[in-house]
Amino acid sequence: MHTSNTARQALPVSWVRDKLLMGMSLRRYLRSLATPFDAVAALILLVGVPVIIYRFTFGLGAVTNLSQANPWGLWIGLDVLSGVALAAGGFTLASVVYIFGLKQYHAVVRPAILTGFLGYFFVVVGLIVDLGRPWKLPVPLVYSWGTGSVMFEVAWCVCLYLIVLALEFSPALFEWLGLRKLREWIVGLTIALTVFGVMLSTLHQSSLGALFLLVPHRLHPLWYTPFVPIHFFVSAIIAGLSMVIVESGLSHRIFRNQIGASAHADLEYITLGLGKAASVVLFAYFFLKIQALADSGAWALLNTPYGYWYLVEVLGFVLLPCVLLAHAVRRGNVALVRAGAAVAVAGVVLNRLNVSVVAMNWNAGVRYVPSWMEVVTSMAVITIGVLTFRFIVNRMPVLHQHPAYQPH
Amino acid sequence: MNSHELLTIYSAKAIEYLIAVAYVVLFIPFWRYVNGRPAAARVPAAERARGGQPTDWFRMAEGILFHPGHAWARVESPDLVTVGLDDFAGKLVGSLSSIDLPAEGTPLAQGERAWTLQTRAGAIDMLSPVDGTVFAVNHAAVSSPRLPIEAPYEEGWLLKVRGRRLAANANQLLSGSLARRWMEDLTDRLRSHMGLELGLVYEDGGLMIDGFANVLDPEHPELVAKHFLLTDGGGSHA
Repeated sequence: MHTSNTARQALPVSWVRDKLLMGMSLRRYLRSLATPFDAVAALILLVGVPVIIYRFTFGLGAVTNLSQANPWGLWIGLDVLSGVALAAGGFTLASVVYIFGLKQYHAVVRPAILTGFLGYFFVVVGLIVDLGRPWKLPVPLVYSWGTGSVMFEVAWCVCLYLIVLALEFSPALFEWLGLRKLREWIVGLTIALTVFGVMLSTLHQSSLGALFLLVPHRLHPLWYTPFVPIHFFVSAIIAGLSMVIVESGLSHRIFRNQIGASAHADLEYITLGLGKAASVVLFAYFFLKIQALADSGAWALLNTPYGYWYLVEVLGFVLLPCVLLAHAVRRGNVALVRAGAAVAVAGVVLNRLNVSVVAMNWNAGVRYVPSWMEVVTSMAVITIGVLTFRFIVNRMPVLHQHPAYQPH
Repeated sequence: MNSHELLTIYSAKAIEYLIAVAYVVLFIPFWRYVNGRPAAARVPAAERARGGQPTDWFRMAEGILFHPGHAWARVESPDLVTVGLDDFAGKLVGSLSSIDLPAEGTPLAQGERAWTLQTRAGAIDMLSPVDGTVFAVNHAAVSSPRLPIEAPYEEGWLLKVRGRRLAANANQLLSGSLARRWMEDLTDRLRSHMGLELGLVYEDGGLMIDGFANVLDPEHPELVAKHFLLTDGGGSHA
């Protein structure tokens, strides 16, 4: 009796220690967190979390510079629009591997899906922070179907795709927990989930752009174009591919002890392949941007301050990374591929901020500038996302194959 | 909507067509540029990164961490490593009559005795490259002791070890270019040593003799082997 009680008490303790504390005692685990990165993250959270609490206590008006004229600000531009685009690696890589059968990219599918899942999860977190009445979030999903609204489609797509990403990532969770049967069952659904994920992504990545079709009088003519949904979808593919390049490069440096040298070498081939794909899509996207310019006939506006900024975006963050990536791939220069991908990622974020903040209400008397609390809140949400990514990668088989399971 | 509108020529539409044509025309050289000359520049870069090029005499492998006592470790997951003996150790002893591996559940400590090679000249201990507990034993290597000699990094692995200090353990092991330099240095010293002993000079490589401990000291090859495998209780390499 005594033995079984002891065993029963010891089980959760050893489980917590093995699964959550990575086999360390609590004290040693906490000591392992004493790094410069953790210090910076702690500082951001120390300021950011009270600001988020303050926002929910006193409302949006107390924290943000948003107004009736400028209802969308940094949180929508960065946390939601950029977050969704940067999370596109999930559907891009899943379709590359599971639909097109390019199995050589298998090693980066799980990190890409995890990035996608956490990206979307924190998009929803950002959205909850941004919504005036976040508790009404389920209303368009279950109660008030506004089928004529783009928002309705986006809400449903994001909700469903978040579930799809959770299911796509769940084999790693089940391997970690040792739930073999559940893992096998969900692995059997891989193709179906991938196809469903591609459908949902195609719909809502472009729909997020379609939202801006509603505001032709508010969005600067250089950014307003009937092509904006296509621009959003194509640039999401660029963001997804580039994000996988950047994120896998960083992961292989930060989580070095989890990855063998052969995986590092494989990643070089993968990075070159993804770099080539990103450069080709950037090339097409550059021409789509020019096409939109020709369609709107806004050539004369290029010689204005907004035009110069537009050229910075299109030449500096679309054409330049395109050329950088093409050159790097041709030379087999992996470091340059990563640099080019980082510029491309920055370019997509810049585009989303330009469309939703900089070029929005460009002719209004009072311009929106985010408050420091908005900036800190965004930083806190992103920091929590990065910490969650690290927590999962340190525990679950994401960057490496679990030895007890066959790859799927 | 005017049904003729689609066919009406106006300047913006003409420019759009021109852009579309320009895209298609420019895409051809762009595609050729991105895909051009892949083998010459790309393969060496990736090969360099593989970091597992064999030295002249001893094969190394990708993704392997080497212990100076010629055991290797490959991280399979955050708490699981596969361990074995390296090609140097295999060629050093040449052939095994049997191999004594610890049972599952046996605790191991980095740098402490882990398994024993039984040779015609006697028993030779080898050191564990990591801390941990034996999780699995390669019974194929026990039943066929040629396996760890012939395929040391593949089918000839010896143990799977569950460890909790793998990151700390890995800091004590050699990998990548460091491991390559270590093996090249050993090879160079061995080459000059064997030149003195045998009057044989392998200036341009050649293949290492299996069981070269017998060549270095035909009387007591086991002492030579223990010397290299760091289980002779002290001393330095050749």
